[in-house]
Amino acid sequence: MAPANTDRPDPGLLAALGAIVGPKWVRSHLTERRPFEADGLPTHASVPMAVVLPSSREQVIAVLKLLAERNVPWVARGAGTGLSGGALAGGNAVLIPLTRMNRILSIDPVRQRAVIEPGVVNARLSDAAAPFGLQYAPDPSSQTACTIGGNVAENAGGPHCLKYGTTTNHVVALEAVLPDGSLARLGSPHGEPWGPDLVGLFVGSEGMFGIALEITVRLVPLPTTIRTLLADFATVRDATEAVGSIVAAGIVPAALEMMDQACIAAVEASIYAAGYPTDAAAVLLVELDGATASVEAEAALVHELLRAHRARGVRSAETATDRARLWQGRKKAFGAMGRVAPDLVVQDAVVPRSSLPSILETIGTIGRKYRLTVCNVFHAGDGNLHPNICYDRRDSALADRVARASAEIMEACVAAGGSITGEHGVGADKIDYMPMIFDSTSLAMMCDVRRVFDPANRANPNKVIPIHACREWREPQ
Amino acid sequence: MTGTRGGFEALDPCVHCGFCLPACPTYLATGDENDSPRGRIHLIRALERGEIQPTDRALVEHLDACLGCRGCEPVCPSGVGYGRGLEAARVRLAAAGRLPLEVRAILAVFARAWLLRPALLLARWFRATGFPDRLSGHSPIQFLLGMLASTTAGPSGSTPKPAPATRGRVALFRGCVMDGLFGHVHEATRRTLAANGYEIVEVDGQTCCGALHDHAGDRAGAAALAEANLRAFAGRADFLVVNSAGCGALLKDLPHLIPSDAARALAAKVRDVTELLAAAGPRPGAPLAERVCYDAPCHLQHAQGIHREPLQVLNAIPDLEIALLPGFDRCCGSAGLYGVLHPELSRAILGEKVAAIAAATPQPSLVLTGNPGCLMQIGAGLRAAELPIGVAHPVELLDRSYRAAGYYH
Amino acid sequence: MSVSILESLRSIAKSAVISGPDGVPVVRPDSAEAIAAVLGHASEQGWRARVEGRGSWMPTDAPADFVIRTGGLDRVVSVAPADLVATVQAGATLETIDQSLAAHRCWLPIDPPGGDSRSLGSVLATATAGPLRHRFGPVKDHVLGTTVVTGDGRIVKAGGIVVKNVAGYDLTKIQIGGFGAFGVVVEANLRVRAVPAARALVVATGTLDLLLDQARLLREAAIDLASLELCSPTLLGGDRWTLIVQATGTAPGVAAEIDRVRSVASGASFEGLGPGQASRLNRAVAQAALDGPVSLRAGVLAAGTPDLVDTLGETIGHRRLSASLGAGGVRWVGNPTEAHVRALRHRFAEREVPLTLERAPWAFRRAVGHFGAFREGVRPIAARLRSTFDPKHVLVSAIEATE
Repeated sequence: MAPANTDRPDPGLLAALGAIVGPKWVRSHLTERRPFEADGLPTHASVPMAVVLPSSREQVIAVLKLLAERNVPWVARGAGTGLSGGALAGGNAVLIPLTRMNRILSIDPVRQRAVIEPGVVNARLSDAAAPFGLQYAPDPSSQTACTIGGNVAENAGGPHCLKYGTTTNHVVALEAVLPDGSLARLGSPHGEPWGPDLVGLFVGSEGMFGIALEITVRLVPLPTTIRTLLADFATVRDATEAVGSIVAAGIVPAALEMMDQACIAAVEASIYAAGYPTDAAAVLLVELDGATASVEAEAALVHELLRAHRARGVRSAETATDRARLWQGRKKAFGAMGRVAPDLVVQDAVVPRSSLPSILETIGTIGRKYRLTVCNVFHAGDGNLHPNICYDRRDSALADRVARASAEIMEACVAAGGSITGEHGVGADKIDYMPMIFDSTSLAMMCDVRRVFDPANRANPNKVIPIHACREWREPQ
Repeated sequence: MTGTRGGFEALDPCVHCGFCLPACPTYLATGDENDSPRGRIHLIRALERGEIQPTDRALVEHLDACLGCRGCEPVCPSGVGYGRGLEAARVRLAAAGRLPLEVRAILAVFARAWLLRPALLLARWFRATGFPDRLSGHSPIQFLLGMLASTTAGPSGSTPKPAPATRGRVALFRGCVMDGLFGHVHEATRRTLAANGYEIVEVDGQTCCGALHDHAGDRAGAAALAEANLRAFAGRADFLVVNSAGCGALLKDLPHLIPSDAARALAAKVRDVTELLAAAGPRPGAPLAERVCYDAPCHLQHAQGIHREPLQVLNAIPDLEIALLPGFDRCCGSAGLYGVLHPELSRAILGEKVAAIAAATPQPSLVLTGNPGCLMQIGAGLRAAELPIGVAHPVELLDRSYRAAGYYH
Repeated sequence: MSVSILESLRSIAKSAVISGPDGVPVVRPDSAEAIAAVLGHASEQGWRARVEGRGSWMPTDAPADFVIRTGGLDRVVSVAPADLVATVQAGATLETIDQSLAAHRCWLPIDPPGGDSRSLGSVLATATAGPLRHRFGPVKDHVLGTTVVTGDGRIVKAGGIVVKNVAGYDLTKIQIGGFGAFGVVVEANLRVRAVPAARALVVATGTLDLLLDQARLLREAAIDLASLELCSPTLLGGDRWTLIVQATGTAPGVAAEIDRVRSVASGASFEGLGPGQASRLNRAVAQAALDGPVSLRAGVLAAGTPDLVDTLGETIGHRRLSASLGAGGVRWVGNPTEAHVRALRHRFAEREVPLTLERAPWAFRRAVGHFGAFREGVRPIAARLRSTFDPKHVLVSAIEATE
């Protein structure tokens, strides 16, 4: 790979890119590349060599063919709301935002399928499906901004994936362009593949296997009845034990979310104040949906379980507006952290649900040990934690404490049998944690599978798999 | 009122979450991070740190391309003061002498009544010939004619029957374009307020609010105009009523230009006309069996936080069917001088709105909105699309309803 | 030759090795390491291995130098009812798994054709799901992670044991429905459910058209069901078609949904079955799917099912046919010719419907392949993946298409 100077991209390459997408849609001036130096996790930053904004599948294919001919690395990007530094491009790489490829190609209400381009914003698809009584179920908290192409790359989740599953459960077919510019048509509208399940393999590959040009997704009927309960607790342990009891009772809520006191405070100070009790140690947001009779029966049972675990109060959202307000607070919690401090470490660990009470205590202990405020806002129902640490990175001693605390939190989660990321992806941020959960053979196999799609390692280089893991395995071969 | 860092500190809470992206009309039009609030914050922060020079071509281009609609502010979970930060940046850019010649020329005219009045008089005369109405259309020149034609008045000339004025003395802010081209909206404002128990006082010595100057980074020019208005209005009435959302937003924010108690006192009295009417009820008028749609000006909803009041005013008209079409709360692309300086982007943004209006069934007869720029922009867009739909300020419709109800002589 | 293979396998596998009925050595390893040792050696020697579970779904007649039988890996390693996850070895039968889970009030809602005697490994390798896929999704939705031995003896772990996990590529996915071409699954972490408080099963019988119509009405009414399965007359041994409807959940919820089924139905009556009758019917549906040498499954959406069922009827007869009229998917069991399968694949491909060969004698598999013609760009990826997971093609599989 030819090293490229960050300040002076190759003029020949720029001209060739401009010939494909139009010169206006190639960003080469350093100033105009700067805003692309970070995604939703600005603690990682890297200015790309150039930014190219294609608007059609033909343009994307031509761009990838050109970059293949010239052996230039590249990174695909959606809206840049990812939280793992996954859409970062190095100074020798071309960044390809797909935000202009934002057409909903078709919605078929009878077959309950939609075909979309990768730049379609998640919430826009659900809005477009709503008149047919359908929705696109995966609902990451950034759904008003993030693109489905990005969701496919990261296998994005969201509160409602507890019941409905994550992106991988909803994507049935893909047309993908591989790093060499060739096309592959994966999956079928039903979901049954023509061959091995390459759709399942592609979803969550973090932009390292190719670019999805057309995505076929399942749409599911909007539930007839939705009941949202807000319970507040005097202790975090009570709240987490209530979570376990609901799950063990055989109830699969549409969503089961938890926020702790520090997080409640940030949200209540924001314009998305949801009326969460600020003196509670934790609140649980439980949403049940489905047919009326079963929702009512489950709501009664959940109410009982919450009370049995010493919920101080249980509120039920009566109207769609109330429900939207309760959810706004949860979904905008991450953004609201900006009120606490300018920088933010966002973790995404997963632990077995039964470990929630003890892991939260451990996180609290680690926070106290390093004198840090840890805000917990997370998908309790599936054990997916988001301990957020607010800090100011200009204070290097503080930043160092934050880094050490983060690593300790991660170690504790892994020790509990968990995973390093539940929905944000590994990206650049968690790459060093990968050996905590995978041995070198398994990591090397991931490298090998990546080479099936991208033999030159040009697509989103230096993400997900630590380089040394590849070398260790390959050298003795 | 700005902090020690000239307003840049208002951007500090940004954590790069990107929730502002879908609220930004220019980002939706281009898909380029550079044209998004988050991208511009990134650029402005680099400007503040000195990593980008205020003369940088690309910086100027992307900051200029911002409509200043502040649609990003209400969706920001962290409460970033985007408008404040943008103005801080524009002050730097202006100080570096990067205001384009045509902008400087326009601002100079608006700052000088002896230049502006004859210009607007000429415009009114030309409007009266009927040519702008007939020649309006799609091309840039035709679009400008359409904008002028969209300022045409409805019937006027009546006065309210005397009623006890119990709700306080109100001074009308006449402004520049409003006074020159929207005299009929001023008349409707006076009549409908009077019909709701307000006493109207006329104040001399007032001038342009300076919003165009402020948004362009000409803070000195804006402050000079603000001083003049402060002298004219101080102590003259209980309320300073404004029927232009852009002017209202600036006047409510007067202390950031003049950090004095007098400015704070005056700012506290500023009301949009729909606020005063809504506070009075308002008095119901005669039925108008029409279907209209309401479009929320950015400087009313985002800058002033006024959402319900215009609808309360319209709800005082029995039988009126009010539609809120998709995107009614999104910028029309007018944004002061924006339409003139960035015609392509401005028209692209307007195109979405016109398409939504065209797609509405049944079709509305009128689009109502409370800002002169938006009235002209949307009006011209509807004309270019050859849609038989007019534009009007909400108080104009209330005025019609009141006339039909016999509240006027 | 096989004698020497037998002996060297004995020394490497440290597990039972016997001589099979056709003289082919059969290894019955009891650990992932033992399989890894055997495959590593086979890879060096250029031997080919056939992997068998219980011998009903993965090929038992494929030519091979030796056989790996996974029956020795039949343990339910752990069940965590509070987390609703379980770790199970691939040789365990569904029956064993169900019993272990039931002791913890847990349940694995996979009800594939072939029934309880099937090994988990065969269910994963063939991705065969049954009627419950309507509510609970395809097989892959139940698998959180796997331990796989590659064709050259590497032990690879993918996924994890938590219900939500995006760490690393999802290598588990290509094992499920990979027909053994990408390695031997030795262990899987499964997402399980709490045993539902209530279950109900109702059936209606009648003509094909009547039942398709009923299913459409139920679908349009968005009734929350666990399954909505249509069965052909031959499948259940009668002269009428049968629509089997199951609901699971809370008692009031299940009762309400079944009431709605009856109120939405038009021209058909749904008869409720008691628990004993219901499980006998479910077993009969699963078992009947083995009454023919070849199983095919078509990935068709519910809306396209009537048309596809007609096509099958006209070409190879309805035979033993079942269809999920909610989630979609048609399974057909019978004795078609290779030409039939090729012709059907062509016709279905025009409608974007893949036709997968789930089960057949080796010669048939070899002739038509599990998947038939790959679509644009898939063949090279599949071939390279195969070489990545099994560089020497030790594992016998008919994944490579022959059309």
